[in-house]
Amino acid sequence: MMTATARYFFRVIQIGVVTLLLGYSAGHAFAASSVADTEHVRAELIASVDKVYPGAEIELGINERIIPHWHTYWQNSGDSGEPTTIQWTLPRGVNAGEIQWPIPKRFSIGPVTNYGYEHEVTLLSAVKVPANAVIGGVFPIHAKVGWLVCNEICIPETVELNLNLPIVAKGSATGKGSPLIEKARKTLPQVSPWSASVEYQQHQLLLRISGNASLNTQANDLYFYPLQWGRILHNVVQTPSVDGNTLVLKLKPGEAPVKPSENLSGVLVVSENRGGEQVATGYVINAAISAASSPIINLTAEANESANLGLPAALLLALLGGVILNLMPCVFPVLSIKALSLLSHVHQEPLQTRLHGLAYTLGILVSFSLLAGLLIALKAGGAQIGWGFQFQSPVFVLVVAYLMFGVGLSLSGVFTIGNSVVGVGSSLAQRSGYSGSFFTGVLATIVATPCTAPFMGAALGYALAQSPVVLLSVFLSLGLGLALPYLLLSSWPYLQRWLPRPGVWMERVKQGLAFPMYLAAVWLIWVLAQQRGANAIAVALGGMVAIAFAAWLYGITRNSKTSTRHGSTAIAVIAVLIALTGGYAGVLANPANAKLSNAKLKNEIAATKSQNWEPYSSEKLQSLLAQGKPVFLNFTAAWCISCLANERVTLSDSKVIAAFKNSGITYLKGDWTNQDVQITQFLKEFGRSGVPLYVAYPANRKDGKAVKPVVLPQILTPEIVVNAVKL
Amino acid sequence: MLIRHLLKIALIGFVSFNSLSASAEATIGKPAPAFSGAAADGSTVNLSALKGKTVVLEWTNHDCPYVKKHYESGNIPSLQKEATAKGIVWLQVITSAPGSQGNVDGKTAIQINAYNNAKPTNTLLDADGKIGKAYEAQTTPHIFIINPQGVLVYKGGIDSIASTNKNDISRAENYVKAAFSDLAAGKPVAKSSTKPYGCSVKYSS
Repeated sequence: MMTATARYFFRVIQIGVVTLLLGYSAGHAFAASSVADTEHVRAELIASVDKVYPGAEIELGINERIIPHWHTYWQNSGDSGEPTTIQWTLPRGVNAGEIQWPIPKRFSIGPVTNYGYEHEVTLLSAVKVPANAVIGGVFPIHAKVGWLVCNEICIPETVELNLNLPIVAKGSATGKGSPLIEKARKTLPQVSPWSASVEYQQHQLLLRISGNASLNTQANDLYFYPLQWGRILHNVVQTPSVDGNTLVLKLKPGEAPVKPSENLSGVLVVSENRGGEQVATGYVINAAISAASSPIINLTAEANESANLGLPAALLLALLGGVILNLMPCVFPVLSIKALSLLSHVHQEPLQTRLHGLAYTLGILVSFSLLAGLLIALKAGGAQIGWGFQFQSPVFVLVVAYLMFGVGLSLSGVFTIGNSVVGVGSSLAQRSGYSGSFFTGVLATIVATPCTAPFMGAALGYALAQSPVVLLSVFLSLGLGLALPYLLLSSWPYLQRWLPRPGVWMERVKQGLAFPMYLAAVWLIWVLAQQRGANAIAVALGGMVAIAFAAWLYGITRNSKTSTRHGSTAIAVIAVLIALTGGYAGVLANPANAKLSNAKLKNEIAATKSQNWEPYSSEKLQSLLAQGKPVFLNFTAAWCISCLANERVTLSDSKVIAAFKNSGITYLKGDWTNQDVQITQFLKEFGRSGVPLYVAYPANRKDGKAVKPVVLPQILTPEIVVNAVKL
Repeated sequence: MLIRHLLKIALIGFVSFNSLSASAEATIGKPAPAFSGAAADGSTVNLSALKGKTVVLEWTNHDCPYVKKHYESGNIPSLQKEATAKGIVWLQVITSAPGSQGNVDGKTAIQINAYNNAKPTNTLLDADGKIGKAYEAQTTPHIFIINPQGVLVYKGGIDSIASTNKNDISRAENYVKAAFSDLAAGKPVAKSSTKPYGCSVKYSS
């Protein structure tokens, strides 16, 4: 029997000889081959084609076949190990793309967890053949591939592989290449259809993946593989739980945890049993760290406030919010018109008046249920949406602008429709017109959506995170609130006595009310300009001219002969259709151009001297908070009237500007005019589903501790802001 | 039903036990986990007896290619000499379970060090993985530094380039050397937690 020392020396010599042999063979015997064998791995250099043409974009792959029980490593090898490296030697000027790593597996021995591959893996890299490659020649590929292969023990191995691809003319057959390439593509992680965020909670890191319409949380195995070492502890069990339609994975922060300005990147691997076979699918996850929950600033209590709101409270708040909505600048004209029409009904049968009130209420409730239904459907589809989201669609904005304009024309008396679509065109004294009342309700809902009344924010934020039934009830409660003043007025004759007597003045008021409608249309066109640029304004205004023409034509021929009337109606309908389709096409066309003009607009705004704010980005917020600096956050949208009112009246107030300046606050403004997932996420943190949202982050205390941020009301006064900033 | 309940209780117990043992882990700035273990020279090393001295724990496995890189190049042996000359206690820890790579008896461990011209203060034989698990040692090499007050001040790799290539040593940032000079200057260790790299520690389970 050998002594341990002798055995050791023998081993050293043995390994030395093997190394020499390997070095020799790598340098010579295999130099011209696309395949190389080591003791544990057979490696092959493969390509997606058999021949290349100048300028071709091809994929190269290193296929590793690993002997049973051994594994090589993923880009983050986990607690130990080392990822495979590929050194490409390619013709001058040609660079291989980064390795595309297939979804890994995990291997645990005791407390050590590794990420890697067993049996077989193919690492792909994209390569572009130079345009000046000479046809008839060869495109030489050389790869020096190194890996660490382990079971219990680990062996580093290196091979050199060569592949020469003939260069042919573009258009000639290039062959199918290796089938392993296609096989490898199928093992790459996919783009995640979900949104993801991470949040620190005590000593845990919660990874939330939401909108998981098709995420099987019952899958046999769900595991998040972090791209970088140290982000999480690899060897800790990841416990999944389901919260509504959000999957929450509990992770433990590792030695190099995610910082507030960073994202947690990785691959979520879902393993399912499909017909007795384990199928693993990987999704690329890039989760921003929640502003509300960075390890430095813990303010989860604030964010949870509305999430913990009970259903009764949410219903009550929604009802109150709905009532207040009546006074919002967007709804008030419509309501006034309705109030006027009520006057004309005063001397009718109380029953009829009551029925009008009910029809109006029904109109509102039906529209709100439709809105809720749409929200539920979109939510189920995984969209990141919130209150007023429909105004993020330029087409919707355009249609509402046309509608406002049309209503305005009708009020001005340019045309009247029998039982007018919107119920306002009808002679106010007209007896029937329940459908008119119904559609006034619909109109009131449409114009109400860009306004968020106080109390509504919390209720809607709560509702959006709940089940469809709860969401629907909160919406109906909101609608009921909106309908309530008119409903009471119409069904309570005593109240009606307080209203003034009808008369000619009503016609004047009606005409006068056309102007708020025109203003609303102007505002919506401005919104459109923010979304789609200057061209969209021309398209929209052109459409308005067509609508005005249609209205005028319809109006003047109302009392003409039947044939003339029908003819002109047809022309009017065509004009409206032109306005709509032309507007639709015009608004959706050329988004790139729009972006340009949008950027230009932003530059212009930025150039104005009086600007005291900076555009919001989560990175900026995080870096400011990390430095302990005070921040005032304003989330706004061009289509949000309350937001604009607050900005024009309160946030531009000299007292507020001075207070910002004195306290050294950074005023960040987030624009939600167009879809913005980051902002939607942020709103969600605060239990909100829409804008406006105002948050004041005070400076850190003298001991360096962060102070809880303050959420300000949705209707601001200079005093509220100044006091919040003083804190 | 009852069985399910019992299972649940057992599970909860297991989870809370896990989190308890996790809270006793090796954390920078916290007292290093206490241990007492058999050494290659037949003595018993107790961490508490080493208070007042800086202690280095180096997980090792002489057959691991990463360990070989640092021993055959002389990198770790010279670090050991530098440390012990300053009065720092350098302890190798061999956690390899019986029958697994790197598992040796005390005599062999001493012979291997002699062959490598390595002079650590001592070598801990931790085949049952007690010390390894207390420190959550993951790789060979994996370095932990404990200050004279018994507080863990460094955990991580030997240097910044994870490879088995000896040529990388001169290009890499030597974290242990940097930690020594920070400690000598009375400063907190700037890079106190780095990525360890190497072979996995061959635990018994």
